[in-house]
Amino acid sequence: MSAPITGSRSAAPAIPGAIPWRVVIPPVLAAALMLAVLGPGAALVITDVLIMVLFASSLNLLMIYGGMVSFGHAAYFGLGAYGLALPVAKLGLPVWAALALGPLAAALGALVFGALCVRLSHIYFAMLTLACAEITYTVLFQAYAFTGGDTGITKFMAPRLGLDPRLYGLVVLAVVCVCLALLWRLVNSPLGLAIRVVGEEPHRAAALGYNPRTVQLVAFMFAGLLAGVAGTLFSVYHGNAFPDYAGLGFTIDALVMVVIGGLHSFGGGVYGAVIYTVLKTFVSRYVDEWELVVGVILLAVVLASPRGCAGALARIGAMLRNKSS
Amino acid sequence: MIAVQIVNGLMEGMMLFLIASGLTLIFGITRIVNFAHGSFYMLGAFLTYQFSPYLLPGTVGGFVLSVLAAALCMMLLGMLFELLVLRRIYGSDDLMQLIITVALVLVIRDAVRMIWGRNDVVVSMPEGLSGALQIGGSFFPVFQLAIFGAGVLVLAVMVMVIRFTRAGILLRAATDDRGMVALLGINQSLIFTGVFAVGSFLAGLAGGLAAPFGNINYLLDTTVIVTAFIVVVIGGLGNLYGALAAALAVGVLKGLGVLFFPRLSMVLIFLIMAGVLIVRSLGREAVGK
Repeated sequence: MSAPITGSRSAAPAIPGAIPWRVVIPPVLAAALMLAVLGPGAALVITDVLIMVLFASSLNLLMIYGGMVSFGHAAYFGLGAYGLALPVAKLGLPVWAALALGPLAAALGALVFGALCVRLSHIYFAMLTLACAEITYTVLFQAYAFTGGDTGITKFMAPRLGLDPRLYGLVVLAVVCVCLALLWRLVNSPLGLAIRVVGEEPHRAAALGYNPRTVQLVAFMFAGLLAGVAGTLFSVYHGNAFPDYAGLGFTIDALVMVVIGGLHSFGGGVYGAVIYTVLKTFVSRYVDEWELVVGVILLAVVLASPRGCAGALARIGAMLRNKSS
Repeated sequence: MIAVQIVNGLMEGMMLFLIASGLTLIFGITRIVNFAHGSFYMLGAFLTYQFSPYLLPGTVGGFVLSVLAAALCMMLLGMLFELLVLRRIYGSDDLMQLIITVALVLVIRDAVRMIWGRNDVVVSMPEGLSGALQIGGSFFPVFQLAIFGAGVLVLAVMVMVIRFTRAGILLRAATDDRGMVALLGINQSLIFTGVFAVGSFLAGLAGGLAAPFGNINYLLDTTVIVTAFIVVVIGGLGNLYGALAAALAVGVLKGLGVLFFPRLSMVLIFLIMAGVLIVRSLGREAVGK
């Protein structure tokens, strides 16, 4: 219990700072092409996947780079949704003006909760983030007069701003790409290196002159901001906001994505979100017991390959490279 | 009115203690935060529902028998889980251990939904325990008093075992210093399996005892586990007596909260937990231990 929760075996891969275009461009083009060519139904699924990619990547930043396992990341997703929905529904703000308020609300929430949470580490950090998320959820759920309780806020705007699903999918794709590029820049900046060193070796980081709490708080806030963007996109996508968006269910979804995607890599959140969301969409068409399936997959992944799918891909890649050289 | 709520709160607190005691015991020894503890509680309730028509239905003895049978089933399940799954990951990241218990939560929840459906099931109250007792000017339901008594009984047994038996001595030693116990040549994995079995037994017992008290459905697991976490954290992770005090305090607070600020009683309890965590951390260094 002396090392941070994931940092015990040295975490994130060593990467040069440039964006690896060769890895990035094909999937982005493929997504854009699928959005343009396939029907609206497929576009809805792809949009869902893209939003989850952003959500999972924001948690990935915290867990893999910051060494902080949050058990309440959905709080910021929910704040992103309510930050949009409440001003529009209650104050009559136009939607375009409220779009920035969602992520802002999430970042503010992350600043306040994060300031408390980064005082703790390990399991205590996880518990406190869980408590913060449950407070958020309970307030959203029980402040019936203001938030509508469990009936949520609906009909305050046309889903997807009234856009065609394909067009909205492209918008989401663009936003997610920009956010991931920012995230990439962050983790490869000096600040990102500070986040990593604090995640792996807090004492050494402190000896180097970093204030671990400040660095962690910045990471927490940035992760909250990105989760808020995802929440806002999600709220626009459905044209509603429910307390469940801040609930344990979404938190566990994100955790599962990061874990099956693979710990210790930037792409982990991306792979995990794609695999998880696609699988969920198709499996739940045929069987009701989606959670059972997830549980079994998780057990298998954790017992068989603790580094998840990204780890498996990296291993395969290394094998191929060895063969060719 | 306030007195009634306080008594009600104490009884709910005793229920909470039964749940939290298993969780905190397991954490104290294995350092595993068992998210599936709430699922074991839920399964205990469902199994009690399943058993009670066959075991002297309607009588107190039958009820006790079905609760014990359910708790024993949970004990077996907990042991199996420990032996087959947890044993393979004791050395790995804390995160992996959390995730794997979360996986069990998902599996159990869907299994319960497949077997018993989405609707609430109801365990009828045994005849001898329904009705109310008049003390002073207020009425107290007999069933709740009985639950309180059962809680005290379990507590007494636990204290006796921990204080006076070899198993209890090993338990205390392992909570203090696992490595030292292993060095003394004591089979550590036996302790781990044992404590997991006992913890799961307690979860099943609590679920079974609480079964006639409210509706039982497949969503019970998360509500229970979150409240149990709060109790365990406030009492200090791994601290049995702390959990007792915290459980009673949280129970009373919930009881009084319903009276004064029904909407926000849960928020208040979360705030207390956050406060306890932060105050504890003030004494420590910013990072590390």
